[in-house]
Amino acid sequence: MSHSVPSFVYTTYIETSAEKLWHALTDGDFTERYWFGHRVASDWKVGSSYKFARQGTGSVEGKVLISDPPKRLAYTWHPCSADAKRERTSRVTFDLEPRGKVIKLTVTHDNLDEGGKTLRDISGGWPMVIASLKSLLETGRALPADLPSCAAEKTDA
Amino acid sequence: MRKPEFVYVSYIETTPERLWEALTSSDFTKRYWWNTSVVSDWKVGSPFSLVLNGQTTDVSEILEADRPRRLSYSFHHILNEAARKERPSRVTFVIEPHGKLVKLTLTHEDFEDGSVILDGISKGWPAILSSLKSMLESGTALAIPAAALDIEGLK
Repeated sequence: MSHSVPSFVYTTYIETSAEKLWHALTDGDFTERYWFGHRVASDWKVGSSYKFARQGTGSVEGKVLISDPPKRLAYTWHPCSADAKRERTSRVTFDLEPRGKVIKLTVTHDNLDEGGKTLRDISGGWPMVIASLKSLLETGRALPADLPSCAAEKTDA
Repeated sequence: MRKPEFVYVSYIETTPERLWEALTSSDFTKRYWWNTSVVSDWKVGSPFSLVLNGQTTDVSEILEADRPRRLSYSFHHILNEAARKERPSRVTFVIEPHGKLVKLTLTHEDFEDGSVILDGISKGWPAILSSLKSMLESGTALAIPAAALDIEGLK
């Protein structure tokens, strides 16, 4: 909270297993269903690249920093938009921790530019994406994709 | 420096009216909030309390009640002595239709400097609101062990 470089932290609890949640975060067929059409692709080895694309158009890409299934995944975050490219490279970390029969998922997005476009976009975007992920894992249905805005994934107009 | 506040946003497949009911009816809160009852007539200025297994844990009052859009109450924990000495903080729920969903924004703010409850509520709300979302969407609240949240005073 008191860092000079802002970070965004979002925690939720999901009735699933750590393995299923890991799969949901790293499998393109799965992300396409809850991440409003965005497919992810990577071999998920540390140092490898990954890319999100929607209908073939890249939206976010980066490098895998930590890959410790099914506990911890981290990657750099480069939105494929001109504005965001001028900002520093931010980082996303997913922590998956069993809590009784549910999994605590903590998404930490840090190393963000103060007042930057990425901070604004991801602050609106993560709660939507994670809410949809939780719904899909618990009910079998993702949230409807006709959201008025899906800020994390918007590319430049 | 910015004043500390805790903000949590979620999207739930439900209606504003059902979400309001879930926030204000003990039949619901007991299911997703570790058997906690919410006791009030929900009129502005009326008393509001949280009751856990027959023991009152928080006593405060309703600040805003605009069904089914906006609910605000003061929040004053009375079990823990250090928390009891703090002035009440403020909890606001904003309920907005969002396409076929409802966007719920919780803001918990107006803490004293060095507040002892800020840590607890920052760990508690994500669990409570995650369980609320599950209950409304799947019919079953989550069984999150309260002890697993690592909140001082709950151990």
